[in-house]
Parts: sequence; C-alpha cells; structure tokens
Amino acid sequence: MYATPTDMGRSAGAVGSAAQAGRDFVPDEGFFARAGRPFGRLSVGLAIGPLRFRLEGLSPRQAEDLETRFSPFVGEPGASPDLTIDLRAAEVAAFLALPTDGSEIYRMGRRRTGARLSLWSYEFAGLLDLEASRAVLALVAPEGALYERGLENFLRAMTAAFILDRKGFLLHGSCVVRGGRAYVFFGPSGSGKTTVARLSAKDTVLSDDLTLVVPGEAGHQAAGIPFGMAHHRAPQTNRAFPIASFNRLAQSREVRRERIEGARAVAEMAGSLPFVMEEPAQAAAAIDTVAAALEGIPVYRLFLRKDDSFWSVVEEVS
Amino acid sequence: MDLDVVLTRSTNAAYRVYDGQATVVLPDGAEVNVLNEAGSLVWEAIDGKRTLRQIVESVLSVYEGKPEETEKDVLEFVAELRQHRMVS
Repeated sequence: MYATPTDMGRSAGAVGSAAQAGRDFVPDEGFFARAGRPFGRLSVGLAIGPLRFRLEGLSPRQAEDLETRFSPFVGEPGASPDLTIDLRAAEVAAFLALPTDGSEIYRMGRRRTGARLSLWSYEFAGLLDLEASRAVLALVAPEGALYERGLENFLRAMTAAFILDRKGFLLHGSCVVRGGRAYVFFGPSGSGKTTVARLSAKDTVLSDDLTLVVPGEAGHQAAGIPFGMAHHRAPQTNRAFPIASFNRLAQSREVRRERIEGARAVAEMAGSLPFVMEEPAQAAAAIDTVAAALEGIPVYRLFLRKDDSFWSVVEEVS
Repeated sequence: MDLDVVLTRSTNAAYRVYDGQATVVLPDGAEVNVLNEAGSLVWEAIDGKRTLRQIVESVLSVYEGKPEETEKDVLEFVAELRQHRMVS
C-alpha cells in the first residue's frame, strides 16, 4: 500500500531535514512500501549487452530524455526482461548526506534480506526483489543532475549484479576501440582511465569509467553501455568488440608494460569490480568469472605518462 | 597463540586458488589479496578441524625449514589473518 500524499509529505519533511542536516537517512523496507507515486505511466526498454531492463513509471519528459541520451541502447525488452524497475518519486531531499569537505568519494549503503537487496546513496534508494526480477527505485528528483546520477548509479549496480549470471562483469575501467579491437584500462580513481580516453579522441571510446565485459563466440568482448562514462557522452554504438588486453594503469615517466599473470592478474582485476565484492557468494562468482575471461586475454601493468605515447606499447603484439 | 588451537576460515572471506596461489577477498570486499604458495597452503589447511600444530607439520612436509622458524612464520601469518577477520 502506498502512503497518502499527506503521509508522504510528513515523511519527506522529516527525512529531508535529516539529510540536509548532514545525517544519513537509511531507508527500511517500510520506506519502499510507502514509496511515492510514479513519475508517469510510460516505460522504456534498455539493452545493456545481453541484459534487458524495462524502466516503468516514467513521465513523458523522462522517457523522451532516455530515448535521446541512451539512443543506441533503447529497445523493446521483450516479454521477460531480466529486470523491471519501477521508478518513483522519493519525496525526500536525499538519502545519504552529501560530503561537505569537497571529497569525491562515492558512498552507497546496502542491506540484504533473503532475496531482497536494498541499496541507497545520495540521490536514490532502490529495493531489488531477486525472486520477482523487479525493483523499486525512489529518486530524489524528477529531472536534472540528481535524477540522472541516481538512475545511472542504480543501473550500474544492477548491471554489475545481473551480468555475473551471464558470465560477464562490470569493470572500473575505460575502454578504447582501435583497429576493431578493444583495449581496456583499469585501476582506481586517479590512475589515468579518463586521461587515456581523452588522449584517444580519434578512436572509439566505449567508456571512460565503467566497462562491460561479456563472453562472445571468440572470447570475451567489451560492450558499449550507456552509463559507462564519467566525462564523455554515451557511446553511439551498442556493439561489442573483442578485447585485445586489460591494462592496469600506473603513472610513470617511462612508458612500458609488464605482464601480470595467474592469481595476481585475477586479484588486480577483481579489485576493480564495483558493487559485487561485498557479498562472499557474489565475490566468489566474480573472481571465477574474471579468471575465465583471462584464459584468453593478457593482463599488463601499463606504466604511462600523460601523452599518447602509451599506444606504441599497448599495441605491441605480446 | 596456542599451537593446539583450531581455527576456521571466515565465511565472509571469498577465495579461489589459481596455480597454487589463493586470491582472497577481505570480508568487507574492499581489498583483494594474493597469498603466496606457503600462505595458500596454510589458508586452505585452516578448516576448523586441524590444529595449528598440525598445520605447521603440513607446511614442514612440503617446505624445507627449521621447525621453530616455520612455527613462528605460521603463527605470524595466522595473527595477520585474524587481524583482518579472515579466520576465527
């Protein structure tokens, strides 16, 4: 049962003032049961690699915006989408209090209760029912930056979780396609992922922050996704490209690369998987998936400086 | 630490072994570490049944070394695992 407008108004006031006062608001399952009204009655289907998501409860403006921004990825999800996401107005100002010290550390809370997983961050709170393949997503704004970030971050978390069942993974890394082959560059924030993408303007940049890796007929591939960018626009292709190499970035004056093998390579990659390492069963599945991908793709530690000279090393045949 | 103690791996620490080396995810998921071959041997031997004394003997059956040094190495390693809440 959903709350009456009067009830929601009272809840919004209490929650909004808590978050604005610098304290986190942790939504319990009762919050989702009371979650506000849909933004509208429209739905949009998204194709994320092999995954099919359906977003429901969209306003005409939200639907039109998604069809424009996510253009190559919008399509009919079919009768049985992997996940149906029911968008609702959170009617609160924020869930996690925004950092006041200017830090860019992204925080997300999570709670698992049986087959139900709750996630919340600054601008969204979502409840995923794994058995029903449905989720409720409460967003603090109907449009603008908070709406876009909330929606995209929830889609990122859902993609990271659901792609494991398809033997793929979402990697904190950028991806550039050159000569029909995908080169993936990964590492923590500040390691150079965005720089590499910016220095490859003549190539196809599939992502500058998150790369979707999926199995293909001839080994693992990098697939275009609409929310893999931190500083670029969504790629204009939803195609997948065979991966030539994974490159763990390290800043250096000297441009070179070293092969990383075995357990060390798996660990370096697994350490860059967002959203899925907190739960042991999911973490174990994730490292298995990474290990399977690395059977046919080399991993390197790539030492680079801030110019495009790294390409002469990256394109060397191993 | 008592060599007769029996420890158990945390069910919150996911791990897999590749080429004799264990890739271990710390319980909060924030870090992924690789144990060397000797460390991986100890890690897998912590099964809730064997005592640390038996685990030291297992290590000595595979690697050459003085018993007292191996015992010290194993105890230090296990203390580190406990510090990270990977065993209890």
